[in-house]
Amino acid sequence: MPMKGRFPILRTLEYLQKGEVVFKKSVKIMTVNYNTHGDLSEGARKFVFFNIPQIQYKNPWVQIMMFKNMTPSPFLRFYLDDGEQVLVDVEGKDHKEITNHVKTILGKSDKVLEAEALAKMELSNPANFGPKKYFLRECISEVEGQVPHPGFVPLPKEMTGKYKAKLAANSDE
Amino acid sequence: MEGGTRELQNINGMSTRQASVHAKWIIGQVIGTKMKKTAKVRVTRLVLDPYLLKYYNKRKTYFAHDPLEQCTVGDVVLLKALPEKRSKHVNHELSEIVYKVGQVVDPLTGKRVAGKHYLEPLTESTEDTELSLTEKLEQLNITASTPPSTS
Repeated sequence: MPMKGRFPILRTLEYLQKGEVVFKKSVKIMTVNYNTHGDLSEGARKFVFFNIPQIQYKNPWVQIMMFKNMTPSPFLRFYLDDGEQVLVDVEGKDHKEITNHVKTILGKSDKVLEAEALAKMELSNPANFGPKKYFLRECISEVEGQVPHPGFVPLPKEMTGKYKAKLAANSDE
Repeated sequence: MEGGTRELQNINGMSTRQASVHAKWIIGQVIGTKMKKTAKVRVTRLVLDPYLLKYYNKRKTYFAHDPLEQCTVGDVVLLKALPEKRSKHVNHELSEIVYKVGQVVDPLTGKRVAGKHYLEPLTESTEDTELSLTEKLEQLNITASTPPSTS
């Protein structure tokens, strides 16, 4: 992946996956109004440049729209599912402050995210065996230290069924 | 296989098609109002380019029902999904006009705005607005000086 541009790190999957803001289910649309010049919009511009890709990556079903130079002061506007609108003034704020504020008001909290991750992990238990598509291993013989399939490596004579049967027959006599 | 619509059995025994529109609420810009009571709205969504890993705007046009024909081309509009399809292409209706073109209202102050400056003054003017211009002139007491008499 060529690293071209001013901040090529913004175009890495690792950066996108590090996004902290995961919106609650009721948030449908996010609108950012900001200005291209002016010190007061500086935080908003940085927010759009650095954090919007992370937010969109973590929330693929939220529509995000940017409006430039429409109003003198920058703000964010969220449209929720029940028709409610949330207005956030970002004039003069730093982009980190904006992300933290948005995370506290409309993002899922860390506890909820951890619980969801845990639930996802519980669904896929690595101790289970099955088809390669869903599980890690298909048979116990794939594990190192366990008896391999006789098709690949012939079993030692003592473990074969016919030897054991002969031994049982000899001992019965 | 049809995607997006399901056939349900109604109580009366007739099956109704329940329109499960993907987008419940969307925001877009009006691009056409030539149809009767319908607005053509362009909605842009950010889509990640798989190779460049950069987000670009992807456009899609929706048709929205606008019973009062209050949209003009260029308005930014909030659409709500209708419970059932109004016609073959119209699945949404106009919920509210967010920014009317030429008459944008700043939501923080409530004043009309054009780009980076306010059209309406932010603070109420402290001058007495009841006095008209003529009354103000009278107050100044300007009298024409008499011309010198010609000898």
